[in-house]
Amino acid sequence: MEYASSKLIDSYLRSRKIPSTACSGCGLGINHKIVVQAIAELGLERGDVIWGTGIGCAGRQTFGTWKGDGFAGTHGRVYAIARGLRVALPPEKKIILTVGDGDAFGIGLLHLIHCARSNAAMTVIVNDNLGYQSTGGQFGFTTPQGVKTDSSPYGMFEHNLMSEGMDVMHILKGAGATFLARHVAMDGPRAVESVKAAIQNPGFSLVHMPYPCPTNFGSRHLGSRNQVNIYRWIQEHAAPLGQEKEDTYWATGVWHDSRGSRPEFSAHVWATVDKIKRTGAI
Amino acid sequence: MKRFLETGNFAITEGAILAGCRFFCGYPITPATELAEAMSLRLPQVDGVYLQAEDECGAMHLCIGAALGGMKAMTATSGPGYILYGDPFGWALGCEMPVVVLNSGRVGPVSGITGAPGQGEFYLTRYPTQGGNFEAVTLAPNSAQEAMAMVVEAFYLSERLRMPITVLADQLITDGFEDISVPENEAEMAEMGFKVWPRKHCLGPDFYPFTDELDIPPVQMGTDAGGLCSDWTPTVEGYDIEEVEAHHKHAWRLIYKVRNNLHLFEHLHEKKHLDDDPDLVVVSFGTPSRVVNTAVDKARAKGLKVGALRLKGLWPFPDHLFSRPTRYLSVELNWDGELVREIQRAAPKDSQVHFLGSCGDLPTIPDLLETFEKTVKDQPLERKGWVLEAW
Repeated sequence: MEYASSKLIDSYLRSRKIPSTACSGCGLGINHKIVVQAIAELGLERGDVIWGTGIGCAGRQTFGTWKGDGFAGTHGRVYAIARGLRVALPPEKKIILTVGDGDAFGIGLLHLIHCARSNAAMTVIVNDNLGYQSTGGQFGFTTPQGVKTDSSPYGMFEHNLMSEGMDVMHILKGAGATFLARHVAMDGPRAVESVKAAIQNPGFSLVHMPYPCPTNFGSRHLGSRNQVNIYRWIQEHAAPLGQEKEDTYWATGVWHDSRGSRPEFSAHVWATVDKIKRTGAI
Repeated sequence: MKRFLETGNFAITEGAILAGCRFFCGYPITPATELAEAMSLRLPQVDGVYLQAEDECGAMHLCIGAALGGMKAMTATSGPGYILYGDPFGWALGCEMPVVVLNSGRVGPVSGITGAPGQGEFYLTRYPTQGGNFEAVTLAPNSAQEAMAMVVEAFYLSERLRMPITVLADQLITDGFEDISVPENEAEMAEMGFKVWPRKHCLGPDFYPFTDELDIPPVQMGTDAGGLCSDWTPTVEGYDIEEVEAHHKHAWRLIYKVRNNLHLFEHLHEKKHLDDDPDLVVVSFGTPSRVVNTAVDKARAKGLKVGALRLKGLWPFPDHLFSRPTRYLSVELNWDGELVREIQRAAPKDSQVHFLGSCGDLPTIPDLLETFEKTVKDQPLERKGWVLEAW
C-alpha cells in the first residue's frame, strides 16, 4: 500500500531518519508533514532549502530528515547561527528552522527577537508540545496556567508568555516579525497555507504550532497516555482568531502579515555594504 | 608596505582582512571595542560585513553561521565575553568550523578592571567549552605587529585544522599604539611570512572522517551536498547518534588532528640567551615578555646566567621546550599562577618551578632583577605571590 505521504518522503526526506524515533502517538510528525507539504506545494526542491533544528523533541526528531543540507544548533542558538548563515547564503535559498517551545520562547528568545528585529529571512516553525518533554515533562513558557507537569505538581502557576491576556505573538510582532501565524497540529490544510505564506515571506516568519504529546504531557495532565485524550484536549482549547471562547488557549490563523513592508536583513546589509564601497557613505 | 602609528586593534583588523576575513560580529566590550569599530569601518570597503550582535553568545553564533555558509569569520572580546562564547565555541569545535576568536585579556575575575591588562584566561582558552574530548589551539602575540601576523596565522591554522582558534592578547597589545607595517601585496605578505589558506567546502558523503588528517574542508550549507552538522555526536555522514563507538571516533579526530600535527606549532616560541644552559629560564607570554626580555638582558649584563623563553603558541602546550632540568620562573599577569602549573607538569621532576605574579600592572625591571638573582642563588622569595608553594 502506498501512503499519500510516501511521495513527499521520497522527494524530500531521508529514509534513514523517517520514520523518526518519536514516541507512539506524538503529534510532531503531523507538523513535520505540514511543513514538507507546504514546501512541495510551493514547488521548492531539496537544494532550495537549508533546514536547521534546535534541541528537544522537535529539534532532535527533525534533524537530518531533510534530504538537502541541514544543521542543528545548541539549545536556543539556532536562530543566531541562521542569522549569520543568512548573510552568507544567496537570497533565494530558504532557511527553515524546526524548533521547540523551550528552544524558541525560553533559552533562545533573545536571539529569536533579534532575528525578528532585523527581519532576517527565515521560517521558524515552533513545534510546541507545551513544555520540556524530552527531559521528562517540565513546564515551559507557553504551558497553560494550572497544568500539571513533573515540575508543576500543584499546577503551573507562574506568569508566562501565554497567560493573563499575554501572547507570545504580540512580543514577536512588536519586535518586527513580518509574518506570524499559529496553528495546532490538527489544522491541516489551513496550517499548510500559513506555512507556505511564511516560507514565501522575504523576511522573518514564525508559525507557532502546538501539538499533542501523549507520553509526558498527556499522561501527567490528563492522566492517560491515550492519544485521543490529548488530541481532543488541544482541539478543545484552540479556536480560529476572532472566534475565541473563554477556555481558548490558542487563537489560530494568520496573526500578522506585513510581508515586504521593510527590507530583509541580509539584502539590506549587502546593499549597504555595496553603497559604502562605492560612495563611502550610506 | 605601508607604515602606521596605530593600535593593535588596527593591526589585527588589517591582518584579518589580509587573511580573507569578510565577516565580523562582535559585542562592545573594553578593551576589544576598538577592534569592532575598526572592522565596522574597514570591512565594507572590502566587500565585508560587520554586525553587532545581541550579546557575545549571539556574536560568535553569527560568526559560525557565516562560516557555515562559507565565509571566513572572526569575533573579538575580552574575558567576560569570552566566557559567553562557551556555547558556540563548543559547536565550532564539534562541527569543525573554522573561525577566529580574539580575546584581549583584562583584569578579572568577572568584570574586574576594564582598562588594564590581565592574563586570567590561560586555561580558559584550553577549555573554552564543556565536555572535554578536544584539543584547543591558542596563539599569544606580544606586540601589535605580531598580533597582525598571528591573526593571519590563526585563520591559516583554523582552515587547515578546521576548528575555532583563539588569539589571546591583552589590553596593552590591543589598545597600545605602535609602529605597524601593513603589507600591500602578496609578495610583501610572503616576505612577512603571511600564509593564507582558501576556504573550500566538503562535498561529503563523509563529513566527519575518522582520520587525523589536515586540510579536510568544512561542511558548508547551501551547496546541496546533503551536508549535515550538529552539536550531537556525529556519524561520518553527519547524522546524530547516541553511540559510544561513534563518539570515540569523533573525539579521536578532534584530539589527534592537533596532537598528531604538532609541526604546525613548532615555530611558535622565542628564545633569548638560552644557548648556554642558563641557571634560570624565565617563561612568559604576551606583554609581560617584553619587560622580561629587557630584564634578562640587564641580568646578563650583571653576570647572571638567565635566559628567556617566550611562548607564542600556548596550546597545544609546547612540552618539548621544557625538557631540560633547571630553574624556571613563570612571569604572568595574574596572582593565582596558571602558566606555572603547566610548566610544573611539563618540566622534569628535578626542576625548580617558580612564579612571579602581577595583574593590571606589568612587573617592573627592578622587581624582575631581584627575583632572578634570588632564584638563581636559591634564596627565599619573600613577597607573597612569588612562590607557588601549596600545589
